[in-house]
Amino acid sequence: MNNTQLLLSLSTVLFCLGLVGVIVRRNLLVMLMCMELMLNGVILSLVTLSQQAASTTGAVLVFLVFVVAAAEIAIAVPIVLLLARRKHTLDADAFSDLKG
Amino acid sequence: MLTLIVLLPLLGFLLNGLLGNRLGKAFVSAVGCGLPILAFATAIAAFQSFQAAGAPLVETAFRWALIGDFAFEITFYLDRLSSVMVLIVTGVGSLIHVYSTGYMKEDASYARYFAYLNLFLFFMLLLVLGRSLLVLFVGWEGVGLASYLLIGFWFEDSVKAAAGKKAFITNRIGDAGFLLGMFVIYSTLGTLEMDEVNAAFAGPVLPAVSASLIGVLLFIGATGKSAQIPLHVWLPDAMAGPTPVSALIHAATMVTAGVYLVARLSGVYMHAPEASEVVAVIGVLTAFFAATIAVVQTDIKKVLAYSTISQLGFMFLALGVGAYGVAVFHLYTHAFFKACLFLGAGSVIHAMGGEQDVRKMGGLYRKIPWTFGTFAVATAAIAGLPPLAGFFSKDEILWFAFASEAGGQTWLWALASLTALLTSFYMFRLLWLTFFGKPRMDEHTAHHVHESPVSMTGVLVVLAVLSAIGGFLSIPHFLEPQLPLPAVSGHLHHFETPLIVASVVIALAGLAAAAFLYGGDGSRAARMQERFKGLHRVLSGKYYVDELYEAVIGRPLVWISDRIFLRLGDRVLIDGSLHGLTGLARLTAGVLGRVQTGSLHLYVWLVLAGIFACLAWSWGHV
Amino acid sequence: MEQALLWFFALAALAGGALMLVLRHPMRVALALIASMLSLAGIYAMLGVHVIAVFQVLIYVGAVMVFMVYAIMLLDVRDPSFTRRYAGYLLPGIAGLAVLAWTFFHAIGNSQLEAGTPPATTAFDVQPFSAAFLNEFWLYFELTSVLLLAAVVAAIAILKARRGNHE
Repeated sequence: MNNTQLLLSLSTVLFCLGLVGVIVRRNLLVMLMCMELMLNGVILSLVTLSQQAASTTGAVLVFLVFVVAAAEIAIAVPIVLLLARRKHTLDADAFSDLKG
Repeated sequence: MLTLIVLLPLLGFLLNGLLGNRLGKAFVSAVGCGLPILAFATAIAAFQSFQAAGAPLVETAFRWALIGDFAFEITFYLDRLSSVMVLIVTGVGSLIHVYSTGYMKEDASYARYFAYLNLFLFFMLLLVLGRSLLVLFVGWEGVGLASYLLIGFWFEDSVKAAAGKKAFITNRIGDAGFLLGMFVIYSTLGTLEMDEVNAAFAGPVLPAVSASLIGVLLFIGATGKSAQIPLHVWLPDAMAGPTPVSALIHAATMVTAGVYLVARLSGVYMHAPEASEVVAVIGVLTAFFAATIAVVQTDIKKVLAYSTISQLGFMFLALGVGAYGVAVFHLYTHAFFKACLFLGAGSVIHAMGGEQDVRKMGGLYRKIPWTFGTFAVATAAIAGLPPLAGFFSKDEILWFAFASEAGGQTWLWALASLTALLTSFYMFRLLWLTFFGKPRMDEHTAHHVHESPVSMTGVLVVLAVLSAIGGFLSIPHFLEPQLPLPAVSGHLHHFETPLIVASVVIALAGLAAAAFLYGGDGSRAARMQERFKGLHRVLSGKYYVDELYEAVIGRPLVWISDRIFLRLGDRVLIDGSLHGLTGLARLTAGVLGRVQTGSLHLYVWLVLAGIFACLAWSWGHV
Repeated sequence: MEQALLWFFALAALAGGALMLVLRHPMRVALALIASMLSLAGIYAMLGVHVIAVFQVLIYVGAVMVFMVYAIMLLDVRDPSFTRRYAGYLLPGIAGLAVLAWTFFHAIGNSQLEAGTPPATTAFDVQPFSAAFLNEFWLYFELTSVLLLAAVVAAIAILKARRGNHE
């Protein structure tokens, strides 16, 4: 297989691993990190294809995705901290108050 | 001018209805009586201009609807027949309005009474002056409405209110036939104007529709409105209303609307021998049937109610044998003496402080002489004693029932004569029981018996005079150009004088029988009643017709309405389907709500499933 | 040579991702993620997109992952999620992984992807990049600054709420 196929396959595998990681892991922080992995997978495919097309549009989009990821982490982690302070645990199964 | 005649009573209704309570009894009386009197004066003026013109007056008020090529217009039409009718309606109507000012003086709902009475007059005038069957039908329904409102005038009493409902519903059943008749006429002849309908049947080529079918259907409507068998049951109950209402609506005008309808469409009936036969037979049977019931009634108004049904039967008998003008003549004279009788009965009730049972009356002739005098004249008129009005009109009916070539048969004449005998008998019975003999009332009532005020006795005198001389207005002769008298076969002519003599003898025989049985102390009547106990019971129970209707029609209807429509249709089907829908929604929500477990892992797993589904779908469809 | 390096970095990224699912201690999971990200940065560099490679290391590893490490160190990790790593959805998750991965590979296998020629090395240098960024895409630049402002405000709001709860 050529490089493009390799990298795109890698990208999809990283995305799937991240998604499954959110499903199977119980620790909230680990779930957040798996979401970051998903994001990385997507960025890889963006970069690959933008390099193929030789356009800076893709690179700019990647940069914006970085910014969004940073902002997202900046908010998500404090939320997790607050939740952990309330329930004194990081276990995702403890947070089922919205049941029913 | 014709429009003015119709609109004056409507104005009275609006003024009395809206402002009457505020402006007091004097205003209500002035408007309530003044406007009908004005309408009567206008009617006379219209009549004179009709005489001068020589041709029917036609006045279009406005166009109601334009459907396709056909324009439904509100048109008023004054020809010989409707001029006779409009004079009776406004004339007798005005007299009864004046009488009401005295009779209803102490009633709390004085303004409402006059408003309704004026409303009735408006609709009745629409009925008689309308050119099209549609306008007549509007008037027909309107008088039914006014009758319901006035019968149930004292609606706080549920029995009286029920009587009003009975009248209206029975009328509606007849109206179904009327409507079907109108549909047939319109679909085959293309017009509802009554003069055009008559003309269509008068031409050399008859329309391709059975005249008898139209005749029978319209007659069904007439049986409802004019209380013939089998829809006569509402009229006796209608006596629950105030007595002037009984006089105006249920004696002089509204119940004659059926007679007017058949007479107006005489062109159709002349070509419908089967329908005419039906009319005549039902007329004479009703007359006999009602007369037999009247013989045993003890309420003064009920006797007069059955008498009205009987006299209407006579009118339909005349219509059925082709003597349309004679029927209208009898309508005319009947309006005079029956109104006089009813108003006289009202005067008696007024004098007796509300008592209506004749078994508690007696010996009143000295105490209320004016009422007695007018009542006696009217009783003689209805019995057919010459030279009073009833003699002329009833005799003509009997003659044509015997001799008319358009359906006269001997048995019709025989049954009608027997009915005339019964009529004379029960009317004089009523006179004797009410006014002669020893007083049978209690002390308290006896003290209070007093003559009625002039507003009431004056009207009684006018009507009695009209009952006496009314026969000399030769109405059939006046109507002959429009409503020709039927031909009489030559060999029957020599029966004419013997029949006249026979009818006089019959009237006198009735008088004699009543005087014999009820004169003196009335014990002979009591012994007769003992001997014929069974017959007396059946007659008192009015042949149990009401009970029959209740058992055959009333109870099954109530059962169907309850079991099928209420329990099955409404509760199970309609409510059930709605409840089923909500139940379904609740069920679905319950099932779908199980997705929300509060577990984040499940939600993300569902995201994965969703991504997969989208991919799979896009492959199938891209 | 370059091909082998590319493969090496690819496998390293894959290994890091897979390890994330298996390791117990969140700190070790964070380190696996960092390793994966650095491998990705290497791949970007090999592709010639140096700007992105540098930003990957600076922003992602240097800011985002450091923040995550701070958070992990701040919180007590000896809770039920430490002893039992996996939620109830382990088996459905793995099944889902298999299905999804197969779907994606099916898509990639069926599509025509060119080998691609590496572009001129100056295409993704800083200077052309920033020129494009601030000329053509200045609107998105401004919008992202608004987004960052919103993030700052949100963080302060959370901070204030925490202070409010304490007092």
